[in-house]
Amino acid sequence: MADNTFDAIVVGSGISGGWAAKELTERGLKVIMLERGHNIEHIKDYESTNKPTWEYPHRGGRTQQMIKEYPVLKRDYPLNERSLHWWVKDSECPYTETKRFDWFRGYHVGGRSLMWGRQTYRWSDIDFEANAVDGHGVDWPIRYKEIDPWYTHVEKFAGIQGTVENLPQLPDSHFLPGMPLNIVEKDVAARIKQHYDNKRTLIIGRTAHVTAPIPGRTPCQYRNMCANGCPFGAYFSTQSSTLPAAMATGKLTLRPFSIVTEIIYDKDSKKAKGVRILDAETNQTHEFFSKVVFLCASAFNSTWVLMNSATDIWPEGLGSSSGELGHNVMDHHFRCGANGDVEGYDDKYYYGFRPTGFYVPRFRNLPGDEKRGYLRGFGYQGAANRQGWSREVREMNIGADLKDMLAEPGPWRIGATAFGEILPYHDNTISLDKAKKDKWNLPVLAMNVTIRENEKTMRVDMQNDMKEMLEAAGVKNVDTYDNEYFPGMGIHEMGTARMGKDPKTSVLNANNQVWDCKNVFVTDGACMTSAACVNPSLTYMALTARAAAFAVDELNKKNI
Amino acid sequence: MDRRELLKLIALATGTAFVGGEFFLSGCTNPEAGPSVEFSQDDVAYLDEVGETILPKTNSPGAKEAKIGAFMTIMVNDCYSAADQKAFHAGLQQLNDECKKMHDVTFMKATPEQRKSLLIKLDGDAKEYAKKKPDFDAQQVKKQKEEHEKGNTGFEKERWTAHYFSMMKQLTISGYYTSKEGRMGSMRYTPVPGKYDGDLNYKKGDKAFAGLD
Repeated sequence: MADNTFDAIVVGSGISGGWAAKELTERGLKVIMLERGHNIEHIKDYESTNKPTWEYPHRGGRTQQMIKEYPVLKRDYPLNERSLHWWVKDSECPYTETKRFDWFRGYHVGGRSLMWGRQTYRWSDIDFEANAVDGHGVDWPIRYKEIDPWYTHVEKFAGIQGTVENLPQLPDSHFLPGMPLNIVEKDVAARIKQHYDNKRTLIIGRTAHVTAPIPGRTPCQYRNMCANGCPFGAYFSTQSSTLPAAMATGKLTLRPFSIVTEIIYDKDSKKAKGVRILDAETNQTHEFFSKVVFLCASAFNSTWVLMNSATDIWPEGLGSSSGELGHNVMDHHFRCGANGDVEGYDDKYYYGFRPTGFYVPRFRNLPGDEKRGYLRGFGYQGAANRQGWSREVREMNIGADLKDMLAEPGPWRIGATAFGEILPYHDNTISLDKAKKDKWNLPVLAMNVTIRENEKTMRVDMQNDMKEMLEAAGVKNVDTYDNEYFPGMGIHEMGTARMGKDPKTSVLNANNQVWDCKNVFVTDGACMTSAACVNPSLTYMALTARAAAFAVDELNKKNI
Repeated sequence: MDRRELLKLIALATGTAFVGGEFFLSGCTNPEAGPSVEFSQDDVAYLDEVGETILPKTNSPGAKEAKIGAFMTIMVNDCYSAADQKAFHAGLQQLNDECKKMHDVTFMKATPEQRKSLLIKLDGDAKEYAKKKPDFDAQQVKKQKEEHEKGNTGFEKERWTAHYFSMMKQLTISGYYTSKEGRMGSMRYTPVPGKYDGDLNYKKGDKAFAGLD
């Protein structure tokens, strides 16, 4: 084989790309993984992971200079002194906001698998059937029974902690021991369960953290420093999990600084021959060839690659024949809920910094329940904690007493934010803005995405339901809040190359193959046909592993 | 969304996080990098004393030991908006003027007791002033919504400028409890807890646990 020829090309090295590389190499393929950004080596390059707050000149905060240089990142938490080096510099990689869209990206080996929230939930058939039931978007081409074994497959390897709950709307994963709720959360959970006659539950937030030893990984040490990379490899990332496995096969080549600019499409065979890249350091163009291509560059960037490919045949790009490429953008809307004071428990505290909180699975609009004034539903993520030194102490002014008091844990509070499903709207779009270029003179994306009445109506329940539950559990001074949501803030971009049953209305088939080009697979958030209300990463993992197994089968059968 | 940030989202939502808490979380709309006025070494020494009055040395280190004056100047220079910098610098003078008015001496020449009674008064003034913040914020949210509906998507709401003493107090508290001296000297520093216990017995006086961040 020539240096630039492989069995498979994987574009992107985040959660989906890492899984594609692992599964394809373990099934015997020679693979190159192309990553547009720089390399980050596991542990060695987690430069801030052991750094205490006082070693930062601004104690982890943000400076005016940073705000100026990061006009998008500044809109939410990613702009901070600790993890700035892992977020994309807005000025180098601009995009067009036809409507405000907050796009938070990680261009480096590992992608956002290094910075993700690690919340990990299975979908249920309620989610896979949702589009078919209410007629929004198109029907998913698969059901739970088809993805169930693949959930198990990825969970066993990734390591997911959680508790078995037997809930139809939130199927249990293959779990490592669950992290415990704290004493207040436990009592609130019991009161909610009783008040709502088992119809509503509060459980530990399921996450991709190792709580028992698995090969090559050390269980969580409860530092809650995940966002800076874990030196114990305790949370799932490309670096801690899939990349070492793929490397161990001896069949993986990893090439950082490789911006894939297009898929090389051969119109005679109707297949992709490979990809063209721009070296981000040298600005040289290179070509790589393969039998299959896995696009795992994150939803919008995979779509961008398709839009720039085979334009001589399809002006809007490879996969655009359905008219759905770049449409149906989804995210999760959140930043609203309720919180309040927990009285008592002055004699209780907790030890360790738990890297998850509680989760309240969806309870609205489930089959057989009364219908609300909107479709679909939401879940909650929250926590009960004793307040820290930054609490307001109204009765205290200054002096030794203030210092002593703030060095002690404050009163308990409990709160949660909902995460709601966004419907797939055809006119929520991304498109190419050829007038604007990035640092490499490549055209950028233009975002035109809004939430609609369904989401806005849902937000009322998202606030009031938590208030009602907390009050039912005896929580005092409960307030609702809505801190505003703008599309993209959930960092769960989905839907721009959706799966479906019909090539006229979808970009991908049931095996994540581009209908118009069967040896190109898209398995990141772009493939999602609907959004559900749970965090999506586990579903990307399962779909990727499933598609990789299918691709190898098809190669062996000489079907692609 | 990262877990630490989720907690902040939930905690800040009520507005019970103390005034100035947002300094760590968000900046102003029109950043002008760099300090508008320089601090002198005298200013650093002066702010050390202000900080020490707010969080004095007891059986645990005081704010001065945590180099609070230098911390305040770095934060104001690098992280404050131009408007906040201006308010802070004016505050240096105003605090001294208030001291002369109350005790007939400059702050640096005042006794610890005089300093304390002055700052207690200023703390009251600052708390009174902060009561206007919710109305101001609500109006700005309304304005932003209107502008966005008009299609002016770039519009971002104006931020409240806090009372100078709120700034000094907030910087002292945040600087102290994120310093090595504050964490190791006044709290239980556990950078690698190794386990989680959600049902730990606690008695009044036990210190809070602090980690790396």
